[in-house]
Amino acid sequence: MKRYLAASLLLLAPLVVTGDQAPVAGRCMTCHKDKTPGLYRQWFLSEHAKHDVTCLDCHGADKGDKDGFQHEGALIATLVTPADCGQCHDAQAKEVDRSYHATAGQILESADAYLAHAPGGEPVAIPGCESCHGGKVRLDPKSPNRLDRKSWPNSGIGRINPDGSKGSCTACHSRHQFSKGQARRPEACGKCHLGPDHPQKEVYEESKHGNAFFTHVHQMNLDADRWVAGVDYAAAPTCATCHMSASPQQKVTHDVGQRISWTLRPPVSKMKPDWQQKRARMKGVCATCHGARFVDGHYFQMDGLVQLYNRKFAEPAGRIMALVRKRGLLKNKAEFGNKIEWTYWELWHHEGRRARHGAAMMGPDYTWWHGIYEVVQHFYFKFIPEARAYGDPQVNKLIDEVLKDPMHAWLQRPTEEIKRDIRSGKLQQLYRDFYRPAR
Amino acid sequence: MVFFSILRRFWRGLCTNWIGTAGVVLTTSAIVLFVLAELLRMVGIITNTYVGLITYLSLPALFLLGLMLIPVGWWLHRRRTGKSTGELLSERFEAELVAAGPGGSRVFRIIVVLTLINVLFLGLGGARMLGFMDQPSFCGTACHSVMNPEWVTFQNSPHARVRCVDCHVGQGARAAFDAKLNGMWQMISVTFDLYERPIPTPVHNLRPARETCEKCHWPQKFYGNRLKRIVRHADDQASTPRYTTLSLKVGSGSGRQRGEIHWHVAGHNEVRYQPADRTRMAMRWVEVRQPDGRYRRFVNRRAPSQSSATSVPDVDVRVMDCVDCHNRATHIYEDPQDVVERRLEDGAIDRRLPFARRQALAALTGSYRPGTGTRAIALDFRGYYRRHHPQVATAHGREIDRAVRTLQAAYRRNIHERMNIGWNAYPDHIGHRRGPGCRRCHDSNMQDRQGRSISDECTLCHSILAYDSAAPFQFLQPPDPRDRECRMGLYLRREFLGAGAAADPDACKPGR
Repeated sequence: MKRYLAASLLLLAPLVVTGDQAPVAGRCMTCHKDKTPGLYRQWFLSEHAKHDVTCLDCHGADKGDKDGFQHEGALIATLVTPADCGQCHDAQAKEVDRSYHATAGQILESADAYLAHAPGGEPVAIPGCESCHGGKVRLDPKSPNRLDRKSWPNSGIGRINPDGSKGSCTACHSRHQFSKGQARRPEACGKCHLGPDHPQKEVYEESKHGNAFFTHVHQMNLDADRWVAGVDYAAAPTCATCHMSASPQQKVTHDVGQRISWTLRPPVSKMKPDWQQKRARMKGVCATCHGARFVDGHYFQMDGLVQLYNRKFAEPAGRIMALVRKRGLLKNKAEFGNKIEWTYWELWHHEGRRARHGAAMMGPDYTWWHGIYEVVQHFYFKFIPEARAYGDPQVNKLIDEVLKDPMHAWLQRPTEEIKRDIRSGKLQQLYRDFYRPAR
Repeated sequence: MVFFSILRRFWRGLCTNWIGTAGVVLTTSAIVLFVLAELLRMVGIITNTYVGLITYLSLPALFLLGLMLIPVGWWLHRRRTGKSTGELLSERFEAELVAAGPGGSRVFRIIVVLTLINVLFLGLGGARMLGFMDQPSFCGTACHSVMNPEWVTFQNSPHARVRCVDCHVGQGARAAFDAKLNGMWQMISVTFDLYERPIPTPVHNLRPARETCEKCHWPQKFYGNRLKRIVRHADDQASTPRYTTLSLKVGSGSGRQRGEIHWHVAGHNEVRYQPADRTRMAMRWVEVRQPDGRYRRFVNRRAPSQSSATSVPDVDVRVMDCVDCHNRATHIYEDPQDVVERRLEDGAIDRRLPFARRQALAALTGSYRPGTGTRAIALDFRGYYRRHHPQVATAHGREIDRAVRTLQAAYRRNIHERMNIGWNAYPDHIGHRRGPGCRRCHDSNMQDRQGRSISDECTLCHSILAYDSAAPFQFLQPPDPRDRECRMGLYLRREFLGAGAAADPDACKPGR
C-alpha cells in the first residue's frame, strides 16, 4: 500500500522533468525499437538480450576513440570490432586474431586485388573483394558516424579495424542476433567460399555430408549451447563441424586452419607446417562417425588427386609460364595484360582449385568435370599452344621435354594401345607413388 | 380602387412588348415564390438544402434579371413608337397623374415606392443569401459530389459544430469577397469538370491559423501532459490487445523549457521553414528564432543539393503554425487499421468472434469494384464465419451483423470512389504514424552548421508508459530483471516519474 502511495505522490510531482541524461541503454532501446524494429527484434531474440548485454555494452565508446561520436547523449561507435567482442569473448577473440581468416584483409595486396583494381576498378573492389576479405576501415570526421562510406559497411572476415584489431565477428554471426546456429550452418561460410575459384559451398552441397545435412537439418540441434559432434548431434557435419567445432576428442576453435594439412590455394599445393598434427586433428573429427580405415582411405585418395594435379599439370605449367616471362615474350608489360596469363591463372586458380577442393570434400563432379577435366583440356589445348605460339626455341624445348614425360606421352600413341595399357593396369602404374603426401 | 386601376395601367405600361412582359413575369414570380418559400421554411415544412439553394440563390438572381429586362423593354418600345417618354405616359395616364406635383408626379411617386420595395427585397434576399452561404450545409451539399467526402468527414470530426466559413473564410468584407470570387471559380470548375480527383489539400490558401484556430485554441491554453493509449490487436484467434501508452508533452513550454510540443507556436517563439516542394512533405531547411532575433538554421542533408538551386521549385518560406501539424484536425480520414483497432476496443466489433481483427481488416481493405464495397464487406465477413466457424455464425449472428454494420459505416465514411479517395489518400501530419509528420523536421539529417541535429529522440515529445505491452501501464511498475527489455523499463519509468523513481543500476542484472 505504501508503495502505491509513494507512486501516486510521485505522479503528482512536476511531470516535466529533465530526463536522466546519463547514457543508459534503455534510452537507445526506446527509440530503436521503433526506428529500426528489425534490428531491435534481432537483438531481443539474441542470447545477448537474455543476459542483459545491451546497446552500450558493445557500442559504447571511450573518450579518445577515433570513431566515437555523440549520439543522443551517449558517446558511441558504430563499428564493433573483435576487440570489443573480446571484452567478454576473450578466448574466441584471441583465436580469431591468430587465424588465417584474420589475415584475409592483408591478402588483398595479392593478385586478387590487382585484378579488381586494374582490369576492374575501385568500385568493384569495395563491394566485391573487400566484402569477403575485409577492407581497411577508414575514418571520416565529416561522416555522421565518423566512418568513411567507402569502407563502411564492411563485415569482411579479415577487416582491418581502426583500433588495430583484425576481422569481424559479424562475418559469421550476423548482427544483431549473433546466432551460434547461423555460424554452424554451411550458408554462413557459403557467403564467400563459393564460385568458380573455390566452390567449397557447392562441393559440400554435392557431397554426402551436404546431402545428409539438408535432409536432417531439423536433427542438427544447431542452436544448442554445447555442440559436440556425435554427442549433441550426429546427422551430418557442416563446415564448422570439421574445421572448427568440438568433437569428443577436441575442443572448439575459432582459429580455422588448425585441421588443414594441405594448402589447396596456391598454384602448386604444399603441405602446411605441422601438417601431421593438423591432419591428426581432422582425422579426430572424422573418427566421430567413421572408422580409422575409412578415414585413412579418404586421405589416400585425396593425396593422389592433389599430387596428380601438382606433378602432371601445375608444376610443368608453372615452369613454362616462368620461362615465358623470363624470356620477355609477353607483349604487354602489365601483369594480366596478356592472354596466356589469364589461361595460366584460370588453370590453377579456378579449375585446379576446383579439382583439389572437390577431392578434399568428396564432391566427384567438381573433382572431375569442373576440375581435372578442364585442367586437362586447357593445359593441352589452350596453354601449350599459346606458349608455342611465341615460337621461342627455349620455350619449345621445355614444352617438348614436358610432353616427353610418360604421363603426357599418351598424346603420341594409338588409342587401342593406350586402352590396352589401362586394362592391364600399366598406365596406372605411372601414378603409383602419388598416393601419399609429399612436400 | 383608383390605385389598383393605376397599378393595372402601370403594369400594362411595362408589358409593352415580350421583353418587358418577361421581366414582369420573372420579377413577380420570383418575389412571390421567395415569400412563399420563406413562409414554408419558417413554419418548418421545407428543410431541404437544395430548396435553400433555389430560394436564396436562384430567386434573387431571377428577380434581378426581371428588373433589368423591364427598362430594356420600355426603351425598345419607345424607340419603336418614336415617341418621347412624356408622350407615352400621357397616352396611358390621365393628365393629373402625370402632372408635376410636390415630390414629382404621382406616377413617379409610384415608381419610387415600387423601387424601394425592390431594393428592400433585394437587400433582405441578399442578406439571407449570404447567411445561407455561411451555413456548413451549403458548403457541404451545394456541390454534392465534390464536397461530399469533406462534408462526411467534417460531420464526424471534433469541429462538427464549427462552421466551415469560420476556418475557411475568416472575418471581414475582404475575406468574404475573396471567398465568393474563389467560389465562382469553383462553380466553373464543377460545371466544366476541371477539378482534380481527389481534390488536393488546400494548404496554400487556408486562412492563417492565428486568425482561425487560435480563436478557440490559444497556445497558453496547452499545459501538462495528455495521456494517449494506443491499442493494437494481434492477428490471433482472440485478437489479443497490446498497449502502447504515451504521455504526450503537449504543453507550450516556456523559455528554455523547449521539450514540449506546443512550444513551436507559443509566446514569441518562431519556427520557419522552406519545404522541398509545394506538398510540404519534406523540408529543405528549418529555422528557429534565437533570443537575439537571429535565426539558427538546420539544413536537410538529404535534400537535393543547393548547388542545383536553379531547379529548386519556387516554394515560399513559411512560418510554422497549427496546420503544419494539425493538417487534418477536422476532415479526418481514418486509417483502416486504426478503425478496426478502435472498434475492437469499444466492442462494436466483438473480440469473441475468432480472428475478428484479421477478418475485419481484410474485409475493410479488400479491393472492391466501385459501388460494391459495402455489400462485399458483408459477404466477405459473414462468409468467413459461415464457412470456417459455422457454430460461431449461428451463436453470434448478432455480433457478426453488428461488426458488418460497423465496417460498412467506416467504409462509407472513408472511401469515396467518385472522388478517387481510397484508404489513406491524404497524409496526416499529427504524430509520425501516418506519414512523416513530426519527422519532417525532427530528423537526424536536419543539421545546423556545427553538425548538431534536431532531436528525434522519442521521449522528447512523449513519455512512454507502455510499449507494445499486455499491460496498459507496463512501465509504472518496477521492471522485472527476467524481462529482456528490463533496461528500457528502467529508463522509461525514471523518465516519466522523474529522479524520484529510484534507479538501481543493477536492477536488470540476470539472476536478481
